[in-house]
Amino acid sequence: MADQQGSQAPSGSGQGGSYGSSRPHSSGPGGGGGGRSREGGPGGGSGPRKGGKRQFFRKRKVCRFCVDKVDYIDYKKADMLNAFVQDRGKILPRRMTGTCSRHQRWLCEAIKRSRNIALMSFASEL
Amino acid sequence: MEERLYDLIFICRPATPEEEIAKIMKTLEHVIADHKGVIVKNENWGTKRLAYRVKKNREGIFIYLQITSTDGELVKELERRLKVAEPVIKYQTVRLDEEMKLQKKLVARRELKLSRKPRRTAPPAAAPAAPVAPPAPPAEPASAAS
Repeated sequence: MADQQGSQAPSGSGQGGSYGSSRPHSSGPGGGGGGRSREGGPGGGSGPRKGGKRQFFRKRKVCRFCVDKVDYIDYKKADMLNAFVQDRGKILPRRMTGTCSRHQRWLCEAIKRSRNIALMSFASEL
Repeated sequence: MEERLYDLIFICRPATPEEEIAKIMKTLEHVIADHKGVIVKNENWGTKRLAYRVKKNREGIFIYLQITSTDGELVKELERRLKVAEPVIKYQTVRLDEEMKLQKKLVARRELKLSRKPRRTAPPAAAPAAPVAPPAPPAEPASAAS
C-alpha cells in the first residue's frame, strides 16, 4: 500500500513539476524560446522530479457507514440519503464519498426505494 | 410460509379529509386481519413535500405501515385496494425481513467479536484476582485475633 502510494506520488509530482518548469521558460524568452524550453523542460525537469518537491497527500476517505457500524440503510431517512446524491439527484460514486462497496450497494438500494416513493427526486426540476 | 415483514407507504392527496384516510385505513386493517397479518407500526407522517410531481400534486399525506404476515396474497390484496382507492396517489410495499435477518446476523457477529476480545484478556485479569482472594481471608482473622 505504502509502495503504491510512493510510486504514484512521484509520477504525479513529476508531471506537475515539468509543467510548472516549462511554463515560466516559455513565458520568459517569448515565442522563439518556446522550442528550446520544451527541450530543456524535460531534461531540467528530471532533476526536480526525483526530488519530489510537490507531493500530494490526499486524506484517505473512510466509509462513513463502516465508522458508524451501520447494518441497514433506511430508505425512509431521505435527509441522510440526500448527502449521497448530487444536486441534480444523481447518486455520488464511491470515489467521491469513500463509501465501501457493500455500503454503497445498500445505499444505492435505499436511494432507489426512496425515489420510488417520492421522498427523493429522480432528477431535480428546473 | 415463514413470517415476512413488509413496509407499506402510501401517499394521499393533500386535500384528503381525515375521514377518508380513516376509511382507507379501516379497509386495510380489515384486509390485514383477514389474511392473519399483524400491524407492527402505524405512523402518519402528515403532509410532506413530494420530491417530484405525482398526479399533479406537489404535496401529499404520507402514511406508513409495517406489517408482518405469512400470507403472500396479503400484499397483492393491499396493493389492489390502494390502487382502487381514489385519494391514494402513490404506494410502495417493500419486503424487509431478509435485510433485517442480515442486520441481526451482522450485529450478532460483531457482538461475538467484542465478547471474544475481552475473553482473551479476562483470564490474566481473573488469575491474579483469584490468588489474591485466598490470602486475604486469613489475613483478616489474623488481624482480628491480634
